[in-house]
Parts: sequence; C-alpha cells; structure tokens
Amino acid sequence: MTALPASGIPALAANTRVPATLPSPAPDSAFQGAETVREAPVADWVTLADLREDPFPIYRRLRAEAPVHWVPAVNRYMVVSYDACHTVEQDADTFSANEEGSLMKRAMGHSMLRKDDPEHRADRDSYGSTLRPGTIKNHWMEIFERNHRRYLDQLKAKGPGADFVWDYAAPYAAENLRLICGFHNATQEDLQRWSQTMIDGTGNYADDPEVWAKAAASSAEVDAAIDEMLVYLKDRPDPSLLSGLASMPIPLEAIRANLKMTIGGGLNEPRDVLATTAWALLSCPEQLEAVRSEPKLWAAAFEESVRWVAPIGMYPRQTTRETVLGGVRLPAGAKLGVVLGSANRDPKVWEDPESFNVLRAKKPHLAFGGGQHFCAGAWVGRASVAQVALPGAFAELRNLRLEPAGSAIAAGWVFRGMTSMPVAWD
Amino acid sequence: MPTITYIQPDGTAEAMTVEDGTTLMRAAVTSGVDGIVGECGGQAMCATCHVYVRPEFAGRLPQIGDDEDEMLDCTTAERTDRSRLGCQISVDAGLDGIVVDVPADQV
Ligand code: HEM
Ligand code: FES
Repeated sequence: MTALPASGIPALAANTRVPATLPSPAPDSAFQGAETVREAPVADWVTLADLREDPFPIYRRLRAEAPVHWVPAVNRYMVVSYDACHTVEQDADTFSANEEGSLMKRAMGHSMLRKDDPEHRADRDSYGSTLRPGTIKNHWMEIFERNHRRYLDQLKAKGPGADFVWDYAAPYAAENLRLICGFHNATQEDLQRWSQTMIDGTGNYADDPEVWAKAAASSAEVDAAIDEMLVYLKDRPDPSLLSGLASMPIPLEAIRANLKMTIGGGLNEPRDVLATTAWALLSCPEQLEAVRSEPKLWAAAFEESVRWVAPIGMYPRQTTRETVLGGVRLPAGAKLGVVLGSANRDPKVWEDPESFNVLRAKKPHLAFGGGQHFCAGAWVGRASVAQVALPGAFAELRNLRLEPAGSAIAAGWVFRGMTSMPVAWD
Repeated sequence: MPTITYIQPDGTAEAMTVEDGTTLMRAAVTSGVDGIVGECGGQAMCATCHVYVRPEFAGRLPQIGDDEDEMLDCTTAERTDRSRLGCQISVDAGLDGIVVDVPADQV
C-alpha cells in the first residue's frame, strides 16, 4: 500500500512484480522530438503467457523504451503510450478499423466495429436511441434494478463462499444485455455461452478447429434467434436493439454481425468492471470507506477502475499508408494493437499510475476508446455498474469481504478481469 | 473565415480563425484548447465537449436536438441555460466572433 499524500487515503498498489530478467528501461528522451524518426524496436522478450498473467510490468517497460514496438509474439505493432493511442483514435483515415484477415470478421461477420465511416456510420445509427442516456433513464434503469435484485438474491442464497463474478456479476451483466438486445427467446446463460465462444473465435490465432466449431455453432444459434425476434418484435415493439432494427432498412447481414459484436462486447466488460472495482475497494478499506461516506464517489470508483484495468485492454487497427507514430516509422498495411491498458497507465498523464486511487485528479482515460468507435454502451455500463450494482451490492452484503483472502485471480490482457473472486459477508 | 474565442475558467482567452463549418469541438481539439476533450469524435455520445456560449450569441445558435439535450444532462460541470455540446455547433459567418466559456471540469 502506498499512501498518497494529497488525499491521505492509501491507494491500492498494483502488482509490481517485474521478471528478474528484464533489464531496467532506457530513458525515453531520444524519441521526444517529432523530427527523429526511427524503426520500431523489436520486443522479442514479450510472451503471451506473461501478458495473460500480468501485462502491466511489461507495458511499463515498453512505454519507457518507446511509444510503439514490433512484438513478434503478438504479430503486431503494439501502441503503448497515451499520446500515440489517442492519435490513432482520432485519425481514422490513417488508422483503419477495417482490418484485413480479421478473425473477428470470421467469427462474427463484418460488424460496425470493423468498418470505417461512412459505412460504419450507417450501422451505428441503426442502433438508434436504445443505448442512449434518455432510454436508460426511462426504461433500462428499472430493469437493471430488477436484475440486480434477482442475482444478488441468488448470490445470497448460495451463501458465503459464493463467487462474486460467476454467481452475481456475470449473470447480472448477461441478463441486462439479453433484454437490451431484445432476445426474448434466449436465456442469460445462452448469452454468456454465445459471448464467450464467439470471443474465443476472434482470438483463435492458433486456428484450433474445435474453437471454430463452437464459435460457428453459437453464430448459427444467434442467427436463428435474431430471425425469430425480428418477426416477433415487429408487432410487439420495445426499446431493445432488435426491436428498432426490425423496422429499419438495414441488411440482415449487418444486423447479425452487429448483434454478435454487441454480445461479445457488451457482456464481459460490465461484468469485469463490476468485479474489478469491488475487488479493488475490498482490497483497500480506506477507499471503500471514502466511497461509502460519499455516494457520488461510486462514479469516480467506476472511472478509476476502467482506467486502472481497462476491460478491453487492446483493440486492432491497420495503417492505410506509411506513417510515423510516436516517432516510429510504420509501413502501409501495418497491423497495430492499440493498447488501452497501457495508455491508461502512462506516467506522462497520471501521477502514480499503477495505483488504484478513487480520489485521484480526474483526466480523460481511454477505456471506452475514442473517435468514431467510442463505445456505444458506455452509458449502459456506467448506469448498470456504477449506479445500480456497486452501491446495491455493498449496501446489502454487510461486511462484504474477500474470503479466503488472497484467492481472487485477475487474468487476461486483450480482455482483463477477475476470473475467480470468492467472497463472504455477515 | 469565422473567428472563435474560448475563455478558460481563469480568464485566459484563445482566439482562432477556422474554416466555415468547423465545429466548436473540432476547432478546440485541433488547436489543443485545454478543457475540451471530444472523446467520441462528435457523435453527441460522450459529453466531454461541453461549453457555455455567451448569451449574446444565443439567438444565432441551432436548436438543441434530442441527442444533445439528453447528453447535456450527463456533463460533469453543471448544466446551465448557456450549456451546449461543442460538437453540435458548426461555426460559419452567422456565428463569426462567437465567444464561449470552457467549463472547469470536463470529465
Ligand atoms: C462497461 C464497460 C465497457 C467498456 C470498458 C467498453 C469498451 C469499449 C471499447 C474500448 C470500444 C471500442 C473498440 C474499438 O474501437 O475497436 C467499444 C465499442 C463498442 N461497445 Fe463497449 N464497452 C463497455 C460496455 C459496453 C456495453 C454494455 C455495450 C452494449 C450494451 C457495448 C457496446 C459497444 C459497441 C456496440 C461498440 C462498437 C461501437 C462502434 O464501432 O461504433 N459496450 N467498447
Ligand atoms: S464530442 Fe462527444 S459529445 Fe461532443
């Protein structure tokens, strides 16, 4: 625990383990000037296993050495500084989302997330006002409250020793998303299975046929469910995405791809923010106390949590022409990984960036992306997690604690969250 | 080409001349005006381009649309009757000389 003098509230220090074999980072003054252009340094020391376990010490070393690296293990250039990630987000002409050979296109079809404007715009507009703050306030909040009640009761019924992620956060996020999408013919368990198997497809770089088979089976189930709901919702409209899409002149192929992407991108993220924030607060009682005594701070805790551990740690882009990014030359057609998880801990932007501190000075983080593809579900995430789930769970589970202590596990880097979090309460 | 002036909470003024049709958000982000973020690139989705338009220009502004209205309820700094989203206001000859105040908090 490191005490932050400004607040007097100890911040939660991140896992600061750096493998002993890593030499200390070189000073980064060499690439400060935009005039000096260099080739991307090759980070051949980065392994997928290390990234999955704890990417943050790796990001720290990468950032200290250069804003952009070629990383053979990932087969991409990794963009790790805040400035360079921000530049990519704001310049869609140079950094296209329409990546060649994208596994996401194979697993889910060609969704808005892999299109550039103006094609992207048409798809994004087709989501109408379903995910916007007005609809959240007038319609979804009540449903989030109800779902919170239901799954918190299930967690309570299971008793101490239940898992905060799998017995509460995951079904809560999945049931919310099921209704937002308009799948009245599926269960939250279906949504969880669809989401995970299709996500596994988007990351199937090893080309494992079994992974493809599961992703394809889910994809076919989603297609069938959509076909049925588009007919059903025509006569029984509601504020869901599919209901809006039922009366819109948009190709079925786009509807299918966009819904699959939304199933993959709208479930794990709120689940993971919810559990990561709870874990961070439970690991740092002084900060939890501060939030309890000032309920406005739940929103700050949410924003700090997605800054500290971005649920989407990396997303891909591809250069449309030769360019220079952060002083590093990139050829045309270069495949990039925009590492939000690293940008959000850039010491050029944040003081003591590796610590979780709900009282830190607020600055714009990149956890929701930026530019054209700025998260369409940002307000759903904020409302369902920071306004409903977090305050609700902490109010109702008296003396909530991590138990057995030290047994919670965080994992992942493209997506990062708690994979196990046993809890107890009084 | 119209001129825009941004006034920071400490009173510092930054004036700039822009192409017709540039939004208050884009002009600020392009020239690095502090306190205007524009995370969503102008889709009325992030509320980080909030500005207070000086009342003498109010009559020349476009109507507040539904998307802008609900997003103005999500700004970090207090919403007032001068509040607008910078990304929803394109500046042309009709708004030449517009003066806006940048809020103290944007996130
Ligand atoms: C709460 C935590 C969440 C985080 C941190 C998050 C993060 C992100 C990020 C980083 C992107 C941009 C990816 C890229 O540019 O490649 C994105 C896009 C998107 N997100 Fe989220 N998301 C969250 C929740 C949600 C939810 C709950 C939904 C749906 C209900 C959702 C729907 C979408 C959609 C549809 C896009 C694509 C937007 C576009 O391409 O224009 N997200 N999200
Ligand atoms: S730039 Fe996002 S709302 Fe204006």
